[in-house]
This record gives sequence, structure tokens and C-alpha cells, in this order.
Amino acid sequence: MPNMTESEVFDKFAQIVAKSLRIDASQIAPDTHLTDLGAESLDLIEITMETETQFHIFLPDKSILESAVEVFGSGILEKDGYLTEDGKRFLLCRMPEADAHGFEGAVAVKDLQSYFLKISTWVRMIQDLARYTPAECESCGGPMVASMGFRMKCAKCGQEITLRSGEELNREWVREYYDKEYRPQAGGPVAAPAVQ
Amino acid sequence: MQPPLSSSQLHTAGPFMNALGSMVYNSSVTQAPESVCVRMNAFPCEPNVLADLILSPREREHWRSMRGVEKRRREWLLGRYVAKEAVRPLLEKNLDLHLSPEEIEIMPDPYGRPLVKYCGSGPDPMVCAGPPGRASSLSIAHSHGTAVALAVLDPETRVGIDLESLSHRREDFEAIAFSPDERSLLAALPGNLHQEWALRMWCAKEAVGKALGRGLSAGLLAFHITRVETAKGLIEVEPRDGALEPCPQLRGKSLNVYTARESNFVFAATIYQQGAVRMRPSRQEILNYLLQKMGELTQDWDYPDPVRPGSRLFTELGFESLDAVVLCTAIQEHYQTPMPFAELLAEIGQQQRDLSIDELTDFVNTHLGGPPGADATRRVQ
Repeated sequence: MPNMTESEVFDKFAQIVAKSLRIDASQIAPDTHLTDLGAESLDLIEITMETETQFHIFLPDKSILESAVEVFGSGILEKDGYLTEDGKRFLLCRMPEADAHGFEGAVAVKDLQSYFLKISTWVRMIQDLARYTPAECESCGGPMVASMGFRMKCAKCGQEITLRSGEELNREWVREYYDKEYRPQAGGPVAAPAVQ
Repeated sequence: MQPPLSSSQLHTAGPFMNALGSMVYNSSVTQAPESVCVRMNAFPCEPNVLADLILSPREREHWRSMRGVEKRRREWLLGRYVAKEAVRPLLEKNLDLHLSPEEIEIMPDPYGRPLVKYCGSGPDPMVCAGPPGRASSLSIAHSHGTAVALAVLDPETRVGIDLESLSHRREDFEAIAFSPDERSLLAALPGNLHQEWALRMWCAKEAVGKALGRGLSAGLLAFHITRVETAKGLIEVEPRDGALEPCPQLRGKSLNVYTARESNFVFAATIYQQGAVRMRPSRQEILNYLLQKMGELTQDWDYPDPVRPGSRLFTELGFESLDAVVLCTAIQEHYQTPMPFAELLAEIGQQQRDLSIDELTDFVNTHLGGPPGADATRRVQ
């Protein structure tokens, strides 16, 4: 569903969260945090799975900061548990919905949880990923329906596609940021650093 | 300052504390450090009263400013309580430090790992005990109204504990939490163990994430389960990729996680002494250890030739039966595993033959825990 509006995504996601945590959806606002609603680690797994099923997307396994550290190398975005200035710039660019004031002064990695687990961050992430999920079949224009695993199938001609993985998309985004935003400013090495 | 609650009022861990305590002590290959595990599923008094009694000023500020549902605040408070009740007897017993709960402050480090600090008036009594201001290592977990904490004395030792409730889980959470290899480990278990062990495996990953200090932020699949031993409740977890960031020395190695079930809860705990990874050694490592140990035992024995793998204990190295017993005891202590040395020595006596270090290596290799050939199978790709 590539064309869902932010409020459509929000409403649908809020329903998923409310059902999983057995709470009323009216308690959920864009700036609510999943942990404030009482979500524990396994609840997050449930919410992740239900979100993937309902939006036909493939959410990343690790945080954007983790993916970024793999590309940037350690000690550049985060040092001794605190974001560096480069790290703050990176995350604000990735999470425009985050409150920039929250990134003033020392920001500990543990406190990023409150961004990663914010409803509005999930809504933005779902919207970003849903763009890669086609509503119609590329060859015949028929409607796409969910298939086994992270796949979709055309209801008309049967053609199958594999969903883009959120992790892969994250990594691509990070590399692009590294090349376009970070390296020119930092005057870093010309060759991209070894990835994994 | 008097401790606010007498010990009889405490809802301590009971069977689980004992079960996990002895599991951790008996099953580790290296010597287990001093540890205390406390679990509670009820408040000893009204939460706000408890907060006033046990929290340090900074913790109290955090408690007051905590947002979110009441369940979250209450579990956080119960978590602080069990943590302090685990740290206090540890410091009392080992360092003769008698602190009230509010003098023990537990605040997270920048990655979220709880650190224990002294926050009373007067000089810090923990300074003499370890690195500045730290005298123990701690892990806390809470879920469904129950909280558990595991504390060890040595601040350099990493501990991780987790618990989860068995109630109403989406059965297919395994699809996202586990790799295909891990799912085949699960599939190999009897069907009636499946649900419980899926949860134990999940808790094991969380416990290792906590022990290494960064939680599961490196991704679930970066904590790879390499082996499951249902009879012992043992799960081996190998950190990979991003999970190795805080501990590169663990590459290719697994941590032992001890798991248990009590009523509707599943628990997992790991204690990792830095530099002493608990894993099954390879035959070569056993041989190296034996050669080194032999070198120590026979330091002043003036052999014409150095001790080799083929050296025979009795005829070549001049061992007497007492020396053999000393060596066998040392081996069992080193690997924290009882082995049938008495039978071995009796057999050798009967057959009137000697024993080479090579043969002894094979014997130890056979009797160490884990399936035969564990070295080759431990990393199922």
C-alpha cells in the first residue's frame, strides 16, 4: 500500500498496538512511546510481526544506528555510549519527526530508545517502507496480495515479488548519507570503509 | 540507618533462587563468582511508601518523573527493590559493608546497563572494593508483575538475567526471533517442550545482550543459539556481528546461559567472567592445558627432556599414584566437571600399563560436557 497517508498509517498502527497491548487505541498519540504503554520486548516482537503482516512490509531487525555503525565504523557516530555531533546530525536527518531540542547536550545511546519506540517514528518508518510495496502488478496491473514469507503475489497473473527488506533499505540509506552528507563534510577517506 | 524492612518481610526468590543459584554454581566451567539472585512478585508495602524507603534522591526523582502506564512504573520500582536486596547481602557477606537500600544507587550507564554506586554521606566504602565507586555487577529483569535481579561481587564480571511469562504468546514469534538454524534446534525438541523452550531461547538471547551491556540493539540474529541441552536447562549463545562490538574477544565463542521454568515464568541467566569464556575446549586446548599443568607439577623434577604429548606419566615422568591423584583433581577443578578418574587409574593398575599425556587428553576430551565432536558441530551454519 504505497499511497497511505500519515494519518491512515497512524490509525492502522494504533489499532495494532492497542490490540497487542490490550489497551484502548484512544490512549495512543503520535508522541506516545511504546514502553510508556507498557510494551515489553516480546510485545515489540508481536507488534513488529503484526505490522509486517498488515502493511505488507519487512521491518529492519536492528536500529538505524546499528546499521550505520557498520558502515561508518565504531567511534564516529557514537563514542563511549554517547552520540557524537556527527551522530546527532545523522539521526536528525533520518528521524525528522524527532524533537531537535532533545539532541542538545549529551545524548546517551540508551535514551535513543525513546525515539526508536515513539509511535510517530514507527509511523514514518512504516510509510517509508510501504512505498516499496506495490499495490498493483507491474506486468498486468492486477491487485497484489500477500504470499508466503515476505512475498507478494499478483491475484490476476500470479507473478510473485519479494518485498524489499527494511534492513537492506536502511543500509542503502546509510551509505548514501555517508557518501553525500558525511564524507564531503568530514573530508573522510575517498574509498568507502569496509562493510562487514 | 536501619534497613527499613526486616528480612522476614521479603518475598525472596524461593525455589527459583536456589535452583538458579545452584545451576550457576555447579555448571560453570570456571569458578563461579559470589552471586545473589532475588525475585519478588509482590510489593512488601504500598509502592509510594516503598519508593520513599528504598530509593536514593536521584532514583526518587526518576520515579516521580516516570511517564507511562502504572504497570511500568511499578515494575521499575520492584526491579530496583530486588536489585538492592540482591546487592546488600552480597556486600554484607563479602565486604562486611552494611548499607541501607537508599545508600545503594542503581543508575544506568549510557548504554542502559545498571551500575551500582554508593550514594550515602561520608566516604565511599566501595572505593576500596573495586574500581571507583563500583563494587558489584548487576542485571535486572521484570515482566508481568514479577521482578528478578542477579548481582555478582566482581564488577568486571558481566551478568545478564531475563524472565518472561508463558501466557498468551503469538505462537509464530519464532519466525522473527530465530534464525533457520535456531528453529531447527527447536524443531528437534519433543513437541511438548516447544513453546517453553522457544521462550527460554528468547530469554537466553536477552540475558546475553544484557550481560554484554548493549541489550539486543545489534539485532536478534546477532545473538546466535548454537546448542540447547534440555536436561540441564543450558543454552549456548554465540554473539556475532554487531553483538561483538563491546566484546571482540568473544568472536567465535559461546556463553553458557542457564534457564529454568517456575510456574508460568521462564528465566535465563548468564555470568561471564571477562577473559574466562565458558565453552567446551578443543582437544588441542586440553592438551595445551595438560602440558602446562604437568610443567607446573614437575617444576623441580629435573627431567633430561621436556614433557611431550607422548610422555608417559609413570615410567617416564616418575609419577606416583599420589601425583596422579593431584593431577586428576586439578583437571576436574579446572574444568569444573567430575570425570571417572578413579576408574581410569584402577584400569591402568589392573592392566599394568602406563598412561601418556596424549591418552589423558583423549580421556578428558571424552568426558567433558557436550556431545562428542562438539567442536565441529557447535557452529551449525
